[in-house]
Amino acid sequence: MNAAALWQLAWVELKLNARSPELIFWVIAFPVLWMGLFGAIFNEEVEYFNVSLNQANFLLPGAIGVVICASAFIGMSSTLATYRETGVLKRLRVTPLTIPTLALAFTLSQALFITAGILMLFLVGKLAFDVKVLGSWPVLIAVCAFGMATFLALGAAIGSVAKSARAATIITLMIFMPMIFLSELWMPISLFPSWLQPICQALPLTPLVTLLRDTVFGVAMGDYWRFGLLAGWLVVGSVITVRFFRWQ
Amino acid sequence: MPSVVACRHLTKTYGDIVAVNDVSLDIEQGEIFGLVGPNGAGKTTLVEMIEGLRTPDRGAIRVLGLDPAEQRAEIKQRIGVLLQATSIQPDISVKESLELFRRFYRHRVPTRSLLKLLTLEEHANSRFKKLSGGLQQRTAIALALVSNPAVLFLDEPTTGLDPQARRNTWDLLERIRQRGKTILLTTHYMEEAEKLCDRVGIIDYGKIIALDTPRGLVNSLGAETKIVFSAEGVDAQALQSISAVTRVVSGQDGLALYTSDQNNTLQELVRAADAHGFVITNLRTESANLDDVFLTLTGREIRE
Repeated sequence: MNAAALWQLAWVELKLNARSPELIFWVIAFPVLWMGLFGAIFNEEVEYFNVSLNQANFLLPGAIGVVICASAFIGMSSTLATYRETGVLKRLRVTPLTIPTLALAFTLSQALFITAGILMLFLVGKLAFDVKVLGSWPVLIAVCAFGMATFLALGAAIGSVAKSARAATIITLMIFMPMIFLSELWMPISLFPSWLQPICQALPLTPLVTLLRDTVFGVAMGDYWRFGLLAGWLVVGSVITVRFFRWQ
Repeated sequence: MPSVVACRHLTKTYGDIVAVNDVSLDIEQGEIFGLVGPNGAGKTTLVEMIEGLRTPDRGAIRVLGLDPAEQRAEIKQRIGVLLQATSIQPDISVKESLELFRRFYRHRVPTRSLLKLLTLEEHANSRFKKLSGGLQQRTAIALALVSNPAVLFLDEPTTGLDPQARRNTWDLLERIRQRGKTILLTTHYMEEAEKLCDRVGIIDYGKIIALDTPRGLVNSLGAETKIVFSAEGVDAQALQSISAVTRVVSGQDGLALYTSDQNNTLQELVRAADAHGFVITNLRTESANLDDVFLTLTGREIRE
């Protein structure tokens, strides 16, 4: 593994993310707008397992989920599919760059971009709404990292399976949009029809947002199976990526 | 000195199609070797096998004495590659791409000197997608050079470029060769092969059907040069006796001398004009070129 190549590629890819208006919108701007807008409109305390925090604070975990989701599904999957379609991957393949270095660099660049998005949420949240984290910061960071790994693996899986960049975008929209709606971000799953609820619970964004919310509100994580569910999606994403990844 | 690239009996099949058929080839230190043939002749398949991107069904390859099947990582360190129909990240700048790619290699050419060599200095901060085709290709060639490779593989380096950009690329490749690099290039432009290459292999339906210097290939046709000119009051029969002239034909645009030795014939023609007191006008020569070689060997034009 060539560490200099790894960092350089991760850094360049991070800069390229920052040059994409689409990614800047979905990963950096949209989650902040979403939290800020609904936090301001419904400016009242929300009670969650007997703990009260303001609306923006309640929406913060979902906004973090949106950051991670957008970076993975819009960033990772379409980057991979586009690079394959236009021959960028093939060009990299004739250099001494190895597959693990390439995979790690792409992951690292998205992880840094996600980190920027989350820091932005906390910055705006703190200044405008005085958001708090009542639980443990290390646990919050660990859950964020776990969520990143899971979603980036799923993004890479879509990028690998999709026949073209267009197909990757379509698959992404078909998954990304409903998931944001169905995953406990702002509407409790219990409001959905009972046949839909198990599906909502199984989506990878639901356990991530729930675990993040538990941590932000400092309530005990009763449902450790949610970690198992995330881990399951991580395995699914990784296996599909390894199985279907193509250079060209 | 062993060959920089050596191929023995390389064969690659896709389904029923034999893309490369029993090709053996040696490329020597410091030469520009051209692989010439129509689209679909097997040029890219052959080059990509040598680069290690494809595995041959049969045959052996050595690149700088190394085996692509066994020592792929080491070969990648030491070759420079320009692939066909590939790209780099569209939003990356020229300079960023060079800085990035050089990190992949042990030996690194300073970015500034590469920008200078390829006269890309004023485009250093331009995004790749904003560049013209010629500049994109120059950037791609610069990327092939970041590791100061011993051998360069250029797959159709001028395809799709306008004539001016093509000439610039030729000059550039000439400069690169002067730095002692060995170059294998593919092209379907015979003019390009004639201008650039020390040796040319003509490939058709996966087979090398001729291999020599461009001059040698043309001469192998036994091709005669045609000297055409106009002259008043000249005795066509007398011209027949000029050395190396095989035929004299009187046509619409004057007299045509067919000769196997253009230089001698021209000199004697001028002397004959002096001696017999006639004036030569509209003199031109038409020689056979690689297009004629391909036509003769295959019975087809190269671009059809």
